[in-house]
Formats: sequence, structure tokens, C-alpha cells
Amino acid sequence: MKQIILALAAILATAAAALAHSKAEDTTPAKEATVETVEVIELRFDDPMRVTAISLTGPDGEMEITRETGLDPVTEFRAMPPEDMPGGAYTVDWRGLSSDGHPMQGSFDFTVAD
Amino acid sequence: MDGLSPIDGWALLAILAKAAGYAAALVAMGGPLFVAVFRSAPGDVLRVARQLAVGAAILGLAVLALRFGIRSARISGMGFEGAVDPMMLGLVWDSPLGTAALWRGAGELLILAVLIEGTIGLTASLLGALLVAVSYTLVGHSLGDPRWLLAVLVGVHLLAGAFWIGALAPLHRAAGLTGGTVLLHRFGIIASGTVAVLILAGLTFAWLMIGSFGGLFGTAYGWTLIAKIIVVTGLLGLAANNKLRLVPALASGDPTASTNLRRSIRMEIIAVALILLATATLTSITTPPVNL
Repeated sequence: MKQIILALAAILATAAAALAHSKAEDTTPAKEATVETVEVIELRFDDPMRVTAISLTGPDGEMEITRETGLDPVTEFRAMPPEDMPGGAYTVDWRGLSSDGHPMQGSFDFTVAD
Repeated sequence: MDGLSPIDGWALLAILAKAAGYAAALVAMGGPLFVAVFRSAPGDVLRVARQLAVGAAILGLAVLALRFGIRSARISGMGFEGAVDPMMLGLVWDSPLGTAALWRGAGELLILAVLIEGTIGLTASLLGALLVAVSYTLVGHSLGDPRWLLAVLVGVHLLAGAFWIGALAPLHRAAGLTGGTVLLHRFGIIASGTVAVLILAGLTFAWLMIGSFGGLFGTAYGWTLIAKIIVVTGLLGLAANNKLRLVPALASGDPTASTNLRRSIRMEIIAVALILLATATLTSITTPPVNL
């Protein structure tokens, strides 16, 4: 039992120590971009992805976004940002189910400059 | 590190549940296979194989339900609330895991028939083992290209693995019986063939996932696979030692052989647990290099 726990800890520590890195999908706004306005939030995937959750966190905390794309698997996901986006750092976090059934998640940051 | 998904508590829980599901499925599948191949084994040994298969099948059904909740929690980003969210559970049900669950659930229920002695019970439980193997070809990395080849490789890999893993506890019992030597010797001969098939299928699948030697080093998938192969090598060493040294010693009446062999089989079980954890890690949070 002790050996199992030790080995398990070793495997998990190795996995957790590695910097998490999800596949780079294309986004609007682009990752790490600085933009003046945000017309739309888009995620583009190589394979159809069912986006099950998405959130936008701004300088003042979580903000409402309106999904345009439903819960169907898509290669292009669209959501509308709030009307008023103050200057500052923003993060989009998303979760989804890929076509092979894997739960997926990712996030990207951008900055709004007044 | 390329191709590693973000890891949180739910992802770790998913890995543990998946590994438990593998163990349950393999032991459940292995019971009927053991009974079919070694019909003349001592009654005590066959009883262990049957009872363990049934316990594993029931555990497998419970783990399957648990995994639905874990997956719903992960895709919802809502934690426990998401685990029981009907809409999220519905999405998981509509995903390949839902299809696989139907096959796996049906297979695990059929395996319960291994308790019915005779041809009908055995046939039903063998069909169950086949359904469980097929269920694993309907999800995850085996859905890549070439689809049919990957599915066949996974199916064969699992059946061969189940024959070995399902036999460990019955053989542990046999190693403590006076009449167990013949069975242990026969298992050694048959397993030489099935283990070769197991490894060949696994390596072919891995090669199709990695695509190049460089993909083995520097990707999360590659490193996890290397960890798995290291433990597999240790397991093969134990198995070879059993077959070539300990079983012959038992046959020649060496008084310490039984204790040594039983300890060695227990170590094999620990190695298998580690292999299943590595495999669950491989199939949960890493992306095959060919997809990077």
C-alpha cells in the first residue's frame, strides 16, 4: 500500500509540476493582445468542440457575456461581450467536450486600453 | 511540456476513478476468460476467479456512474453543483462516454452470469467481456485514424491484459494449494503468448499515437508512456522470474517456493495498479503527439 501511494504521488507530482499547456486554438481578441474595443469573443478549434462553459473576468471581477453559439459541437464559437468594458486586464476561461469525449479547458488573456 | 491539460482536483479525481474503472473492467473481463481457459483448475481457484469477477463487475458499474458525475463537474466548471446538473449530465450522455457506458454497463451485467456454472453462464459472461472490451474502443484516443486499426489494437490489448490481470488472484490462491502447480505451469505457457500479443498491440498503438521518435521525449504523453513502460518492464521481470524460477521450484517441492511465489504475485498486483494509473493519466490529461 505504501509503495502504491508513493508511486502515485510521484506520477502526479511529475504531471502537476509540468506547466499546464493546452493546445493553442485561435481566439478573438488574440491571446495577450491589447485592443481598444472588443466587438466579439471568438474561439476557433481544429475539431468540433462543445463549449459547455465560458466566463469573462475583467478588472472588476466576472462579467456577463452573451453566448451566440449554443451547446452544439462547433469549430467556431462566438459570444458577445458586455457593452461597457473598462480598461484593464481580461481573462476568458472556457470548458468543453471534444469530439472524442475528452473534457477540455483553456483560457486566454487580453488587455483593453482606453 | 507539450500537450498537458490543466490539472485541478477534479482532473486528479477523474484519473483515479478512471484507473479504478480500468481495474474493475479488467478483473471482471479476466474472470470468465480464466474460467474458460482453465476449466479443470481446482474448485477453490475457480471460485476465486468467479467471485472476484462479479465483485469487479459491480464495482465497475458504480465507478461508471461516478465518472459521469466527475465529467459533468469538469465540463461545467461548477464543481459539485455541476456533477449533478441534469443538462451537463445529458451532454456527457450524448458524448462518446455515454455510448461506451451502454456497452460497458451491458457487458459488466452479463459478466455476472459467470456465477452460473456450465456452458450457458460462461458463454454469457465471455460475451460480456467482449462487450466491455468493445466499449473502450468507442472513446478517447482510439477514435483517431486509422480508426478500425486503433479499435482492434485497443480491444486486443484489453482482452490480453484482462487474461493476465484477472488470473493474478486465482493464481495467488493456486500457489498456496498442493495441486496448484500444474495450473501455474500451464498459465506460464499460455501467458507467454498472450503477453507478447498484449505488448505488441500496445506498442503499435503507442507508435500510431506518437508518430515519431522525437514525440516520445518532450511531450506529456511521451513521458507518461515512458513511465508506464518502465513499470511494465518491472512487471515482465517478475512474471519471467515466476515462470522460470519460482514455479519450477514449487514443482520440485522447494518448501519456500510457495511463499516466494505468492509474494511475487502480490508485487505483480502492485505493479498493475501503477500501470493502470499511468494509463489513466495518459488517456485523461495528455494529448497524443500526432494531434499536437
